Amino acid sequence: MAALLLIPIIFPIVMGFILMCNGIKDNRKRHIYVAMVCIANMILAIVFMFTVPEQSFTVIRFSEIVSITFRVDGLSTVFGMIVSTLWVVTAFYAFEYMSHEHNENKFFSFFIISFGVIMGIVFSANLITMYLFYELLTAATLPLVMHEMDKKAASAGKKYVIYSITGASFGFIAIMLLMNFGVSLDFVYGGILTDIAKIAGHEQLLLVGFICAFFGFGVKAAIFPFFNWLPSAGVAPTPVTALLHAVAVVNAGVFAIMRVTYYSFGTELLYGTWAQFVCMLAAIITIIFGSSMALRENHIKRRLAYSTVSNLSYMLFSLMIMTPEGLVGGLTHMMFHSVLKITLFFVAGAIIVTTGREYVDQLAGFGKTMPVTMAAFTICSLGLIGVPPLMAITSKWMIGTAAANTDLVLSYVGIGALIISAVLTSLYLFQIIIKAYFPDKGLNLERMNRGVKDPGKCMTIPMMGLSVASIVIGVYPTPFINMFQHIAGIL
Amino acid sequence: MSGNLLILFLVFFPFAAGLVNYILGRHSKAGRDRVAVLITAIELAAAIVLVAMSFETPTDLYWEGFAGFGLHFRADGFRLVMIMIAGIAWFFTTVQSIEYFNRLSSRNRNRYYMFMLWTLGATMGIFLSADLYTTFIFFEVMTFTSYVLVIHGESEKAIDASKSYLGFGVFGGLVTLMGLFMLKANIGTLEMDQILDAIKMSGANYGIILASGLLILVGFGVKAGMYPLHTWLPKAYVAAPEPATALLSAVLSKAGIFGIFVVTGQVLLHDYTWGLVILIAGTLTMLTGAMLAVFSVNFKRTIACSSMSQIGFILVGTGMQAILGEHNAIAVQGSVLHLVNHSFIKLALFMVAGVIFMNLKDFDLNKIRGWGRNKWLIKLVSGSAILGVAGVPFFNGYISKTLIHESLVEYIAMFPETTGMAVIFKIIEALFIFTGGLTFCYMLKIFTAVFIEKNNDPELQAEYDGKSKYTSVPVKILLVILGVLFPVIGILPHFTQDVIGEMSQHFLNGHGLEKEVAYFSWTNISGALASLAIGALFYFLIVRPCLMKKNADGKKEYIDAWNYGLDMEKYFYRPALLTVLPFIGAFAARLVFIVGDGIAWLYKSLFFINRPERFNPKEEDEFALYEKPQKAEKVPRGISYSLLLFVIGMVAVLYFIILVAFN
Repeated sequence: MAALLLIPIIFPIVMGFILMCNGIKDNRKRHIYVAMVCIANMILAIVFMFTVPEQSFTVIRFSEIVSITFRVDGLSTVFGMIVSTLWVVTAFYAFEYMSHEHNENKFFSFFIISFGVIMGIVFSANLITMYLFYELLTAATLPLVMHEMDKKAASAGKKYVIYSITGASFGFIAIMLLMNFGVSLDFVYGGILTDIAKIAGHEQLLLVGFICAFFGFGVKAAIFPFFNWLPSAGVAPTPVTALLHAVAVVNAGVFAIMRVTYYSFGTELLYGTWAQFVCMLAAIITIIFGSSMALRENHIKRRLAYSTVSNLSYMLFSLMIMTPEGLVGGLTHMMFHSVLKITLFFVAGAIIVTTGREYVDQLAGFGKTMPVTMAAFTICSLGLIGVPPLMAITSKWMIGTAAANTDLVLSYVGIGALIISAVLTSLYLFQIIIKAYFPDKGLNLERMNRGVKDPGKCMTIPMMGLSVASIVIGVYPTPFINMFQHIAGIL
Repeated sequence: MSGNLLILFLVFFPFAAGLVNYILGRHSKAGRDRVAVLITAIELAAAIVLVAMSFETPTDLYWEGFAGFGLHFRADGFRLVMIMIAGIAWFFTTVQSIEYFNRLSSRNRNRYYMFMLWTLGATMGIFLSADLYTTFIFFEVMTFTSYVLVIHGESEKAIDASKSYLGFGVFGGLVTLMGLFMLKANIGTLEMDQILDAIKMSGANYGIILASGLLILVGFGVKAGMYPLHTWLPKAYVAAPEPATALLSAVLSKAGIFGIFVVTGQVLLHDYTWGLVILIAGTLTMLTGAMLAVFSVNFKRTIACSSMSQIGFILVGTGMQAILGEHNAIAVQGSVLHLVNHSFIKLALFMVAGVIFMNLKDFDLNKIRGWGRNKWLIKLVSGSAILGVAGVPFFNGYISKTLIHESLVEYIAMFPETTGMAVIFKIIEALFIFTGGLTFCYMLKIFTAVFIEKNNDPELQAEYDGKSKYTSVPVKILLVILGVLFPVIGILPHFTQDVIGEMSQHFLNGHGLEKEVAYFSWTNISGALASLAIGALFYFLIVRPCLMKKNADGKKEYIDAWNYGLDMEKYFYRPALLTVLPFIGAFAARLVFIVGDGIAWLYKSLFFINRPERFNPKEEDEFALYEKPQKAEKVPRGISYSLLLFVIGMVAVLYFIILVAFN
């Protein structure tokens, strides 16, 4: 039965290669093909997540510890659901968006392949499998980042590769350590360093290993000081920025840290150590730094990218609290932030592709001319700022209370950082909203905004759908939170 | 979800109706206006029904899981008083706003009505909330929806004022959130009537509870306009359209007071330090507001600053509640009643301001001077409201001010001899009387200017006198209702004010009055008269001689003698926020970049050879990988060139393989 899990991984990869080899000339046909693959894979993934029982399927076994194995557990269900649902939404958005670009066959084939690769990360049952797909993800998404193929894109792509590969290799150091000292490499909630005799005397070494893992996998989660690739990667077409650099790839980094912290090293070893202190401090610095840079940045996509940097560190901060509540907070923010940020990027992309404007101060009066787009932006901004009862207030509240329930001094500093960052978030998002709805006097808006209008249905429907979803989930998040608490073992 | 569903209706109906009304407004303007009035009328009716239902036994509503932590509303005593104020204020201002906006042919009315109704829903949510998380949710919603009301005019001033409003609002809201975190984390609950027990049970550190109380105060203090968080208030109140200002002053500022009451009655009950903080902040608010009002030459600005000053009176009463401890019945009743009285008085005054602006489009005292000379109805209503707010005996403000003053006197009497603290409290009492006098003074100033004196320009005066139709009948009726209300309450305090006081004391954990207050005893009346005398003296000795100058024609004019350099926002908050903090931030960011760049530099020097002919794109100088664009290509580049290179590479590889294989 568990072998079924291979299907959502292999199916899109194969279909992607088919598309790459036999490019489809006709736009309509290609769209249908891509949509079918994405929807089918989403359905397959979700169905298997809930029907396949919790047993693992080993593809290859190299040694007793090292094997390529897949399995479904609570955490993978959450991440898998977020990714696969948003993948389909983005596919539709991309149909219209990419019709303004070139080389769509290449784009969509890698788009589909990445879907399979990310499902590999989702379903991986041990560190080696995850590492394999983690590296593959970099490779599969690189062509998407470099899609433009101009100098800027090439530079961003190089940066992306160097950062990611270096990061993953640091993660590999940690895996080697775990291989030595752990009982296995499988993900077990609570950690695999259970053999106390084995680890006795090597605690400091293991903590160094954890630091390597945190910052290594943290590169994809844009942890300070390795965040720089993310804003640069904004040169990619917007569907890529929206899906990969706000949801899939960056959350894969967070997901990997969840696996490493809660399922491999285990919080018992780490809680209260200097390693936790260092990691938490890095997260706190990133939170404030990301929001400040976002406020300073004038390019819409880069501003949102810095906002992502900051928000990813909300999750990392929450994870570094190292209590079950912290895991719940991190998961909640991961889900809420994905929905909100992907929509914000959709809006940015809609503005860029229909009007060609890329800077915040060019948006005066857009509230009137692009009503649907800006409405989506406003709703999701309010959500991200944390205006109750919309989304992010719940997750921020949970992170805050989780932090306040520890006896660590730094976690109180972290609450302060969350508050400061919330102020900055409201500043950098409201600047756009105010500009759009209440433009300065004395501008000839009629002339400036001639011809500016909402994009087509393929773009507006995903935006509006996600905005509405954000309101609904924000108002009634209980089922999700219950699920997260179940995963973290609180319920 | 369980409990009294009418509460749910009261909170969420305006949100739904606002949206429907917006859609309706795109098709029919007149229909939208009527429906807006209808919606507020339904809301008021629902509030009345809820009062009738919950007057004897409180009713609750739980909505589990809403926004993660659930909502809990309750309809009882003080909350019912507050929803009645909100319901009435909204109905009255909506009736007026229809005529107001029609006559000013204002844009964006659809938007205005939608956000006005949403603000109503949010306000109801705050006033009915039974746990602080619910309060906070609706408080934040209210901040954002009312922002749209402030910016309605979209003039430069309105945009500037609304930025202050939003900035303070968001900042305050988040500080409050921080306080709520601390409270929740330490005592485990935010249910209002469980907090006190939870504090005792959890044995939480007093310092932490006090700190969280003070943090919570910031957000609510901003909305109330408490010193030193008041600087947005005069600007925002003046910039908003009058019906919205009426709501801001009569209801929204009370949402801030509501929050402060919660802390006073449910978190830091009978806490001396807390009381002192509120008392001193209240005294400063009261005094600053009154001074600003005296110097103002703008009708609306005067009333706006007066709002701030009166909030100061309420805060003084609130502070005394905490300081007096167990025997605080007078302070409890005084602050609650002043809150209620002030709401209705300011509702009336801002409605009058709306009528004036609708006719004259100006608030400059020199221009509108003499407008109301022969308009008896509005003159009497304004007179009644002004006597009320000034605390003239037999008007409503007198009752509440007397109670607050009594509480101060009572506390001073508890000191056996003149100690340091007693002197401070005596000074506060003196300031209280003095500010009461100032209230009378500035109100006298605007009343004389608009309703008694003649305009300097005889033609304009003739034009003013000639116009008799200045507002519609419904608005007149509403104004008369309010005008009659003030003396009625003032003359029959035991039937009106005492009832409200008793309803509210549970909320503040107060006890009933030990004995009936003799409102009209000679001591109390003489105190009020002394205060009024100070005000009259101030008016005739300072305002008229110093704040009025003769102009070129030899006629006296009001002059603006206020030194606007004293604006705290301009010289403290904005520079701090826009210069000092960004500097620190930039400095920190540079430090951060040094770390990141340092690593990148190491990278670069380790892995890449930085040859001078290499070209760095500007934003990417840490990755030097591009050849400089060459002017003339020496080797033709194309497939042949690539092939050539490929063949060379192949040869090299083959050579290598041969070398290795056959070694």
